[in-house]
Amino acid sequence: MVPEHLAQIGPPGLELQSTDGVIKVKVSPPEANQRNKMWIDDLSFKYNLVFWENSSHPQLQSKNIFPVDTIDDLAEDSTYCFKVQANLPLEAKQGFFSPVSCVKTTQKANDLLCATNLSVVALNMKFHLLWNNQEEQEVNYNVQYLYGFQKMLNDDYSDKWPSVPGCENITSTCCNFSSIITNMGFYYLRVQASKGHNKSCLSREIKVDPLRTNGIGPPGVRLDLSDTLLHILISPPGGPEDQVMRDNYDLSYRILYWKNSSDKEEEVKQKEVKQTIATVADVSPSTLYCVKVQAFSEAYNKSGAYSQQECIHTPAGTPLPLIIFGIFMGALLVVLLVATPFVFVLYQAYTKIKYVFFPSCQPPLNIEGFGAEPFSSPYLSAAEEPVENCCVIESMITEEGNQIDFTDYKHSKHSSRDSGNYSNDNNSSESKGSKETLEKEIV
Amino acid sequence: MNAFGLIQICLILSSSTIISSLQCNHLPLQQSKVIENSLRLLDKMGKKFPQQCLKEKMSFRFPTQVLQLRQKETVGVAIEEIFQHIFYIFSQNLTLAAWDGKALDQFQNGLYLQIEQLEACVIKKYTQHLWSKEVRRLKLKKYFQKIDCFLKDKQHDLCSWEISRAEMRRCLQLIDKMTRKLKN
Repeated sequence: MVPEHLAQIGPPGLELQSTDGVIKVKVSPPEANQRNKMWIDDLSFKYNLVFWENSSHPQLQSKNIFPVDTIDDLAEDSTYCFKVQANLPLEAKQGFFSPVSCVKTTQKANDLLCATNLSVVALNMKFHLLWNNQEEQEVNYNVQYLYGFQKMLNDDYSDKWPSVPGCENITSTCCNFSSIITNMGFYYLRVQASKGHNKSCLSREIKVDPLRTNGIGPPGVRLDLSDTLLHILISPPGGPEDQVMRDNYDLSYRILYWKNSSDKEEEVKQKEVKQTIATVADVSPSTLYCVKVQAFSEAYNKSGAYSQQECIHTPAGTPLPLIIFGIFMGALLVVLLVATPFVFVLYQAYTKIKYVFFPSCQPPLNIEGFGAEPFSSPYLSAAEEPVENCCVIESMITEEGNQIDFTDYKHSKHSSRDSGNYSNDNNSSESKGSKETLEKEIV
Repeated sequence: MNAFGLIQICLILSSSTIISSLQCNHLPLQQSKVIENSLRLLDKMGKKFPQQCLKEKMSFRFPTQVLQLRQKETVGVAIEEIFQHIFYIFSQNLTLAAWDGKALDQFQNGLYLQIEQLEACVIKKYTQHLWSKEVRRLKLKKYFQKIDCFLKDKQHDLCSWEISRAEMRRCLQLIDKMTRKLKN
């Protein structure tokens, strides 16, 4: 036997208050003042209110309400009857209904002071509340907020709404409430309009679910080219300093790109990426490419606005055979410039080495004395002297006893023609040498 | 049950699945963010665990069998219940804890959002009926009741709150681990 499976939920308490054409409902949980409770967690109760207009053919309306709630859209000056039950969905249990309680609605005070048509405008997690002013005169506004969970509590928070910083005593009909918003849960907002010290009016409440209400702004786009690749650099919406958009939405990017030509319609291509860098391969040369990007969240089923169109012109490409020819000629030039001096240097070295160590000219073998010590032969090869016919001049200078016999000289002159090839002993060569010089002078 | 009745049930279940999946695509992403932020806020709202409270430390023993659920739908309901319990605990008298009110409000708000979303997205009657009879669910309730009783016995003093906060931190980390596993 499991008590929880058998136990049932008793009836809750119900209090009604009729003010200003609306009914304020306050529900107290079952076992409210009991010490020992079956259902300890009284915050998990979901209250179902059933009400109808007291008439001959009552039409039952059913509504899920908070412990402290307001029923509006009721007819004025009519009696309405209410009953409420407490349910525990996780226990799959529905409780007993409370006793029926009836109340009459009052006249609606058509207060022009109240702010109407509350709406929220949000972009990149910057939130603005806008409303209408029915009064022509100046009205002071005080924008108030409440955390979503506070309505779940049993306490009455009606008078405990704090003010939005910066929107406490304003005359404009716009309030920036980004400062109070986080990604944790939803919020309620209302506007208190006042004129002087006496009159004030609370507007209807508006529920704000930040991540659902928020709009995704356009991303930033930058284009870059390298070779035949087009690089698309995306900066996320909300700017580089703000990570909120990226963190909460798990953003992806839809890229639209096309060739912008004036003559024909070009097909718009699409690409979806998760990163902030995308590449388009094989772009055509001398073409204007245009790109625009949109951020979207698949999880939240939300798309942002498209970025501004960015265009870039691809450079004129060189055809492939020309490129190959160019590379070939360049390589050839390099080879010539480098190889030629190198070959020349090698050749020079080879000839020098060959000349020194392996000379090509060999002297004839029949020449005597070749290979003997140098400078052994006193005879140097002398040039053939031009010898003219000459005659012996008889000695003009006659001195007694010193007659020079020139006949000998003739012989010696003859013999002197063959000079150079005879090897004589030193004494005779000396005297002969001096005689030769004398004769030469005479000639 | 005749064939027509079966077809009807199938249609209802499949249509509810479609409806809930259309509105609920964001749920895994949102949940991981809420848990991540909740852990951060739990750290932020108070100071380091006080030394004097170490002697009062209690072992509560979270029923890890609950995290071994196979069906995705039952997991959603289980997490909803856990969040509901944590939400209840942190809505008690916190005066003596002296924590950062703003961080606490944000923490509660995040939990409440998840509870509401899970309730809207999970196939209600069928799964909830299954879950209500689940044996492991009773162990879960016992675990949270133990913490609640501990706080009430200590009259919600500082040490009892600090011990409970550390315990809740551990609990959220286990849930985070489980949801990550399910995602993959």
